Amino acid sequence: MQLFWQQIVEGLASGAIYASLALALVLIYRATRIVNFAQGEMATLCVYGAWQLNQWSVPFWLSILIMLPVSFAFGALTFRLMIRPVLGASDHTMVVICIGFFVGFEAIALAVWGADPQAVPRILPDYAWTVAGVRITANNLGILATLCLLTAALSALFRFTRIGLAMRASAAEREKSPLVGIPVETMLMLGWGLAAMVGFIAAALIAPALFLSPPMMVSVVIYALAAATLGGWDSPAGAIVGGLIIGVAESLCATFVPFIGNELKIGVPFAVMALILLARPQGLFGTTAVIRA
Amino acid sequence: MSRRDHTRALRTAGIAAMALVLLCVPALLPDFLVYQFSVALTYAIAILGLNLLMGFNGQISVAQGVFFAVGGYTTAVFATRYGLNAFATLPIAVVTSSLLGLVIGVPALRWQGLPLAFITFGLAVLTPPLALKLEAITRGATGISMTKPVPPAWFPGNQDTALYLCCLAGLALCVVIAARLTRGDTGRSLRAARDNGLIAESLGVNLAKVRIAAFVTCSGMAGFGGGLFAIVNGFVSPESFQMTKSFDFLVGSIVGGITSISGALIGALFVMFLPDWAADMNIALSGLIYGAALVLLMLVARDGVVGLIVKLTDTVSRRFTQGDVGKLQDQPENRQYQT
Repeated sequence: MQLFWQQIVEGLASGAIYASLALALVLIYRATRIVNFAQGEMATLCVYGAWQLNQWSVPFWLSILIMLPVSFAFGALTFRLMIRPVLGASDHTMVVICIGFFVGFEAIALAVWGADPQAVPRILPDYAWTVAGVRITANNLGILATLCLLTAALSALFRFTRIGLAMRASAAEREKSPLVGIPVETMLMLGWGLAAMVGFIAAALIAPALFLSPPMMVSVVIYALAAATLGGWDSPAGAIVGGLIIGVAESLCATFVPFIGNELKIGVPFAVMALILLARPQGLFGTTAVIRA
Repeated sequence: MSRRDHTRALRTAGIAAMALVLLCVPALLPDFLVYQFSVALTYAIAILGLNLLMGFNGQISVAQGVFFAVGGYTTAVFATRYGLNAFATLPIAVVTSSLLGLVIGVPALRWQGLPLAFITFGLAVLTPPLALKLEAITRGATGISMTKPVPPAWFPGNQDTALYLCCLAGLALCVVIAARLTRGDTGRSLRAARDNGLIAESLGVNLAKVRIAAFVTCSGMAGFGGGLFAIVNGFVSPESFQMTKSFDFLVGSIVGGITSISGALIGALFVMFLPDWAADMNIALSGLIYGAALVLLMLVARDGVVGLIVKLTDTVSRRFTQGDVGKLQDQPENRQYQT
């Protein structure tokens, strides 16, 4: 039983990471109807930036703070230069562009920093509590707390600020929003910037555990995609719940189902997703679009 | 000559030229390139299947590499373990992959759209570790090597040429099937299911049947291509069916143009040769070159290479036939955003 609870705690912690990346994906999807698989590679590049600053003897927490606006600018620029010209093209065009980003950004990291994994310092202290035989580390708690903060900040932004309202409007009604004076493309650009920043935070949190390398985020992105699909692509709350469910399911199955083990555990999120979506095709928190024919 | 005749004549000429070039490949190129072209043809078969599903029927699948792998392994297992003639295993490969296509195509009815994309993506991710795990059938990481079939004595060329021509014949067969399926009533119901399921159903299209049939055909073609790949390559292992293969097929399909048959071949050649060229240019930056090429290509030709060619020939023939009338309606700026 102790092992069971331990796996749940571990699962929640990794689930929180998947959830934050899924949150970034959902942000972009809601703004531009694009599924950006390259989100993880973009985040990895930014973590490399922070690592490089740290190598130049900037304290790690400070380099993270410096990289936050940089990652925002990176996301916004990517949108401005490469997505805006094809805005409104078919989904298939977008898929190929995102695959292009995926391959290209990873190659940049590989060319500049090489393939060797680099150790990344932890920001959170190495402290652990034992509650009823279950080890809870400060790191895991910190990750969960960051996810909560992130969610609260984002929902406050969307709900209570003018800019958040404008962003929601331009995501929902791209053609009509300019009529009430909303600069839609600027809002979409902000959306991409925010998403890049959220993705960067997720990557910076998981980098100490995975070691920094160019393909570091590939598996995380796979889980995050599953989480966003499970939760429903138009729902940030869904992304978070989906991420946590997938993290826990993965950690439990890898421990308690012997055939799955470490090689096949990447299949768990997809199995969970396939089953749940059979019952609710729009995702747990998703809504079905109503079209007047 | 009306514009329609014009376009049709241009199209026929283009296809004839393509066929001629393909027939001449073994005579003009060194053996290794002929081998690479054979592999590209097997890819083209898989991509053609994907075009049927994605372009003509509007369902997305990121699992085309999975069906390709199933076909490849079926051929390899039946040829080595049961000693069947390599080409006799191809129908079995088609059957096994189509069956898997049926298993996925039925629940796919409920997963349309993004969920379907990511569930099939999950299959693609899972295939290499599963191939490693099912050692009893696939021999794990060692893989299965099979002897390539020897051409008959009367054949004037070498082995590579013979295999190339077999692949070409296979592709031709699939092109004929695809051309039949996309015309007439079948083609109309395929496209109706893509454009508006509700209206299609009210006009008597059996939506479930059409979608499942499209999925099964698509996976069957991938299995056929995979079987041919195993024969041409003489060896299959989890290495040959990495997750990236499914991405390659998806990219090839879109780059060529999803609603075209000739686009499948263009896309296959693109994903076969472009990464190699990029690596020749600069090994460290090959990924960047490939990625940038994809992004640039989509900025220039958002409907794929064939889409671009059609647009260009259209503009040219319009210039010759009826001046500038009607030009305004087709301006991309006037199209609505797709959501």
